[in-house]
Parts: sequence; C-alpha cells; structure tokens
Amino acid sequence: MTSDQHGHDPTTDPQQTVAFRATGVKKHYPGVKALDGVDLTGYAGEVLAVCGANGAGKSTFAKLLAGVETPTDGDIMVAGYPHPVRNAAEAEQAGVLMMHQEPLIIDDFTVGENVWLYKLRAGRDIRPWAQKTNTNSQRTREVLRGVGLGHLRTTELARGLGPGQRQMLSLSRAAVTKHRIMILDETTASTSEEHFNDILDLVRREKAAGTCIIFVSHRLNEVFAMADRIAVLRNGRLVDVVRAADSSPDDVTALMIGQALKALARPAPVEHHGAPPVISVQDLYGGSARGVSFDVRSGEIVGLYGLVGSGRSSVARTVTGQRQAVGGVVTMRGERIKLSTPGDALRRRIAYLTEDRRLEGFVNDFDNGQNMSLVVLPRMARAGVVNAGQEKARVKELIRDFQVKGGVKTMTKSLSGGNQQKVVVAKWLEADPDFVVLDEPTKGIDVGARANIYEIIQSVAARGKAVLVVSSEAEELLSLCHRILVMRNGKVVAEFDPEHADTDDLIRTALTHQD
Amino acid sequence: MSTASTLPPVHQYEENTSRGSAIGAWLKGQYALYILLALLIIATITRGSVFWSGTNLTNLLLQMSIIGVVVLAELIVVLTGGIDISVGSALGLAAVIAAGLFGGPSIWLALLVAIVIGGIVGAVNGWLVAYRGLEPFIVTLGMLALARGLVYAYGNGIPIIPEAAATFASFGQTTIIGIPVLAIIWIAAIALIAFLLYRTVWGRRVYAIGSNKEAARASGIPVKRTLWSVYILAGLLVGLGGWMFLGRFAAGTSTAGNLLELEAIAAVVIGGARLSGGYGRVFGAVVGTIIFTVIANLLSLLNVSTFLQDAFRGALILVAVTLATVSFANSRRRTKAATETATDSPASSSTPAGQS
Repeated sequence: MTSDQHGHDPTTDPQQTVAFRATGVKKHYPGVKALDGVDLTGYAGEVLAVCGANGAGKSTFAKLLAGVETPTDGDIMVAGYPHPVRNAAEAEQAGVLMMHQEPLIIDDFTVGENVWLYKLRAGRDIRPWAQKTNTNSQRTREVLRGVGLGHLRTTELARGLGPGQRQMLSLSRAAVTKHRIMILDETTASTSEEHFNDILDLVRREKAAGTCIIFVSHRLNEVFAMADRIAVLRNGRLVDVVRAADSSPDDVTALMIGQALKALARPAPVEHHGAPPVISVQDLYGGSARGVSFDVRSGEIVGLYGLVGSGRSSVARTVTGQRQAVGGVVTMRGERIKLSTPGDALRRRIAYLTEDRRLEGFVNDFDNGQNMSLVVLPRMARAGVVNAGQEKARVKELIRDFQVKGGVKTMTKSLSGGNQQKVVVAKWLEADPDFVVLDEPTKGIDVGARANIYEIIQSVAARGKAVLVVSSEAEELLSLCHRILVMRNGKVVAEFDPEHADTDDLIRTALTHQD
Repeated sequence: MSTASTLPPVHQYEENTSRGSAIGAWLKGQYALYILLALLIIATITRGSVFWSGTNLTNLLLQMSIIGVVVLAELIVVLTGGIDISVGSALGLAAVIAAGLFGGPSIWLALLVAIVIGGIVGAVNGWLVAYRGLEPFIVTLGMLALARGLVYAYGNGIPIIPEAAATFASFGQTTIIGIPVLAIIWIAAIALIAFLLYRTVWGRRVYAIGSNKEAARASGIPVKRTLWSVYILAGLLVGLGGWMFLGRFAAGTSTAGNLLELEAIAAVVIGGARLSGGYGRVFGAVVGTIIFTVIANLLSLLNVSTFLQDAFRGALILVAVTLATVSFANSRRRTKAATETATDSPASSSTPAGQS
C-alpha cells in the first residue's frame, strides 16, 4: 500500500512545486503504531486535507511535519531545507507554521501582542533598549481585520476572548510570519460556523501566496469547502488520496471508517395525549438569555440552534441548575421548580451534558468506573459507604452497553473524544433523568462515535424522556430533532420543522442582525 | 447488536493483569519506600545497635504518632487541592488550651477541649476557603499567625502544666502488648481516614473535587459542603494531635507544634500526593511520616547539630520532590502510550445501547 501508492495517485503532478515530501514515515509509540509507513507529498499553493477517524494518525502526522515529534522511521523533507527537520525550532526555520488545536494565546498579553507573539519570542525584542514591534499599529489592525477580528481593540487583554476569537487570533499570525507550509490542526473544532468564512478567506489568501496548507480535520463539509486534495488515513496508514472535486463526503467517510455509514433514521413522531410537557420554560432570563420560552414534551428531541453568544448555552445551563436563573419560570410536569445548583437538578431528574468535556465532563484522575458512577454513587451506597461490588458490576454493564473502548480501570482521559463522550453520556443516563440537555454532544468526535451518540439520543427519547440538544451544527439538528428553535440575541426567534427547513434557513435566521 | 458482525471489533482491554505483575507495577511507583529502605540500611550500618534498641523504637513510634495524625489531616486537605499551613499552630493552640482550661483536671476533658479547639480552627479555615472562595494558602497563613499568637498570649510564653499532669504522663507511657497507646491512636486514625477516603461516597467526592472541581460541581456534588467538611475533619485530627502532645510531654508549651506544618506537607508530598489535588494515598503519607521521623532520629543519633538537621531535612524534601517529578514524567509517558493504544483502532460504530 505504501510504495505503489504514488503510482496510482491521480494527483501526483510533476509540474507543481513540491512543498514537502514524506517518505515511509512511521511513528511507533510503545506498543502502538500511530503511523505505519506513510508516503505523502504536499505542493505549494494547494490545500491538502488530512482526514481520518480519531486515532487514525492524522494529528501524529501533523506533529511530525511540524517537528514537534520525530518519526521512528522514514523522513519528511521540507522543500528548501537541507535535511529532515528534527525539532520545532528547525521546522520554524524551514517555514512550517503549526496552528494547534488549542490556540496558543497568552491571556495576560494584549490582542496586539498576541498577534506578534512569535516575533516577540524571537528574543531580539525582549532587550529593553531594542526597538519594539509596535503591537498597536495600523498593520496590526489590518491583520486583525483579515481574520474577522477588526472589531477588537489591539490594546485589550486576550483574556476576555471567546474560544472562536482565540482561534482566529492565533490564525492572524499567519499574516506576520514567513512560512511555506501552514498546518491547521483541527482548527475549526472550537470555532463556530460564523468564523468559517474568515478561515476560508485566510486559506484562499495563503493559497494565492503559494503556501501549502495542511488541513487536519474530520468535519467533512468543511474539508470539502476548502481542500484541493484529501488524504485519508486509517489505522496509521494512508488509505487513499482523492481529489476533492472528484469525490464526495460519503466516499471519504467510507474510506475513513472502512465501510459506508448508514443514514440516521428520522425520529418517530411524538404522540402526546394532552399530558403537560415534561419541561416548560417561560420568559427565562440568565446569562445572555433574555426572555426565552419553550416546552419539551415526553419523547421529543428539541434542537436549539444559534451562534456563539446567542444565549443557547446560557439557556441550557440555566434550565439545568448549572447557573442561576435571573428571572422566569420553569415548570416540570406542571409543577413550578427552582434550580440553584446541579444537585437540585439531579434530584429533579434533570441532566446536563456539558459542551466542555475536558473541564466539566469527567474527572481527570478517575478511571472509567469511577467517572461513570460519580453521579449515582449515593444510590450505590448504604450510610455513605459504597458497595464496591455493586458499583463494579454496574459499571461493567455500562461499559458494555455503551460500547466504551477500554475497561473499568482505564483512565477516561486516555480515551478518544468519542469514547470520553460515551462515558459522560453513560454517567448521566445512569441517573435516569426525565429531561436531558446535551450541549454540543458531538463536539470533537469522529463520524463513527457520532453515529453512536445520535442513536443513544434517539433511544433516550424513545423511552419517553424529554431531550434538548444544543448545537452549532445545523445539519446535525436537522437530522436528529423533531423541532428546532433558533436563538438570536438571547431570544428564541424562530421555530423550524426539520422536514421543511434546511441548513441555510437556520443559519440565515441565526445570522440576521435586525429583529 | 445486529449490525455488530459487519463492524470492526471493539478494542478489548486486558482487564485481568496477573497479581504478580500488579504488585510489580505498584512497587515501581513506591519510591518513598526505597528512600525509607535506604534510610533504614544507613541507620543499621552506622548506629544499628542503638537504632534498633527497644527504647529508641518506642521513642520513634511516639514521635511518629503525633506527626502522623497531623500528616493525615494535611493529606485530606491536599487531596482537595488545598493546603493547610496552620496545622502546627492549631496543634499548639489545642494543646495549651486543653492543658489550661479549668486547670486541666482530666485527660478526657482535655481530649474534648482539644478536639473542639481543633475543630473550630478547621471550621473557620474551611468556611473561608469553601464559602468565601479564598486561597487556602492565605487563609491558613493568617490562621498560622493567629493561632500561634493566641498560644503565646494564653500562656505568656510559660509552659502550662495541667493539674492532671501525672495522669497525662502515665497515659503517654501506657502500652498495650508493647505498643504505646499513642501509636494505637495513630493507627486507628490511619484506618479511619483510609476507610473514609476509599470506601465512602465522601471520599470519592474529595478526590473528584481535588482533581476537577468544575466536573464535580457539574455532576451534582455539593462542592462547598464537602470542602468545608474536609477542613473540619482536618481540624479535629489536629486537635487530637494536640491532645496526644499533652500525653507525651504532660505540658502545653508555647512552641508546641512549631514548624510541624513543614514536616506534614513534606511527608504528604514525599508520600506521592500531588499538591494540586486529586491524587495521593494514605499509605504514601504514612511512609512519608516514617521517613521524616527516622531521619530526625538518625541525625540526632549521629550527633549532627540541630541546625544541620534542619538543613538535612530541607535537602530531603528537595530530593523527594525531584524524584516525584521523575516518576510523574514516567507515568505521563505511559499515559501517552496508553492514549494511542486506546484510540488506535478505528471508530467502532455499532448499535449503542440505550437499554440502561
């Protein structure tokens, strides 16, 4: 698969300028072959997407190219650099610019200083008598405008920026550094759809300037919007390189997981016989939610769509006691309830699955068993003493039922995002909630695990629970929900029936600035 | 499961590693035990006959017991990601007031007084940390000065001899089948804390809060209440330590428990606990306690000057902490490898189970 790969690769083009050439690249960790012989060539002025499921080796490849790690075998030659890069500093000299998944932003520096961070770091400017880069210049403002951050003041601290803005701020550095290769490692994972056009613009500019852009992602719609060629990795091997124009997301998905993915069946319609809704929210205020009203009935999956800052997460957190409501009435099955803490919500059988899995989803130092039993532990205890046998037995069942990779004693943090999410889902569903709120349930999760999560959500609703799914991916909500509410400026501005709406409708409604 | 047959198999984990390799893996992490072993060998070579003599061992045990109880208090606070540097002063305060209140007529009254004083100090610390959101370091720093000041003020710098001094002295020397009563109290405290941490809902919550406070809160754990209870329990233990101090020395001196916080924190860290919280074992803290007592004992047996003794202890802390980072770096590498293992097979897509 390795040596003859180039032979039938339709896109090897001797007339293009090579930006890098990877030959027989292997990366073995103790007991694991993260990459097992990959040959891949990148050309100047093209966007090469590297796709694969979690653990396929795509991030490993990016790290090797950026010199963060060195290959076990084989080498990567960057054009214009005499020998394979051996560390990050050499990669920088060779002109490789890496945009990490977690953007490198220093909170206590100003926006302007963060734009010029790599220059400040170069050392020359640190000396007190040296002429400083003017981080508040016209040029800085132009650079910021180039990534859609023109509204920020260059002198404000980066601390207050949202995740999307931080990612865009780190991308702005592309304009002020010299580079031949730019790696976007899951860059769009923390930005929402509104920033995607800015990223597209940036990539187009870079392409025109002759940069080779490596886009590591598993969001296929974005991959197809951006890439010229798509390299698909599976289990550390290069499965195929396809031209984006000659392929489709379904083809690439099939390549990624080695089989075709079956389409998600539409949820069965909900029947309610005049019973009061499980949860009913009237005029809710809290965070950026300003007067939100909606109902969720038994067996219903309701989607909540909106841009970052539209108040969708505030709603999700307020109706689940994660934050206190400032005003409004929440009734559960006709009874008015007041939730001040997550504990209150739990007692009312209301669960909130966080969008920030790493921070709030699970305990870092706990294994799968401890994480899964965390919420329901008091039920497995008598007089505060945990029944260890009962706990272990139940957790084993959960791991089997939810198809979590790994055992009871596997540390949750060592799992892939999809499996971590399954642990979090299992932990909450074990509490048997009547109302479940899932905030970005498939964030950072690959296609396979994504399908798992969708099916779990549907089966929860099928058992008569009320489900609210908050998402910034319109497509996901359209295929999953019975109804979709769109939020803008802290209010629900529209409701859609997924049968009669498409992605454009949702995005347009969410984006419109005038009420 | 109907579609499972056409899908790649779910990665199966070896759940049952053999007992032998489990013990081997456990021993690999116990660098504190090796320090202890090295110390004991040095002690045997240099002052073997004196060190292993009955009187010295009893002496060692008595010393360990008091520090040991305080180390346990420090451990539970450190597990939550906090720190308590007021333990020494609080122990002193509990000791002098227990000795002086009502003239110190009975050791049981003194026990009650000491535990109440310790509990009050802990409750104040805990309330400020849990409900006011203050930094544990600053809170307990203030408490360190406050309690020590009260100790001096209460006794005007003069040791307070309780009326029942003789009873205290004989109690401190009582042994049951050759083991001093104070050591038995220590062992009971170890058992209690181990039980609370490993077997109860409370213990699990302490670890969860220390490791990831946000996740704990989001999971419906009453974070503030649990934190408060940890500091109160720590205070009770410290109060108990103050009472044990009276049993040993039959007087509440104004320097009682001075610099004990240093040894307590160091013992906890040498025992492998992480200062940022969420990780640490009772066994490690006990080994850390023994190491500290043995080294102090050994240094005085070797006639090292008291000033140099402090320097030695400081150096030991540095060495131990360095060793700890080495072992953490190793475990990080292992975790990384495990990460790759766990994610290496393709996404398994199969019918999930909602039938829970």
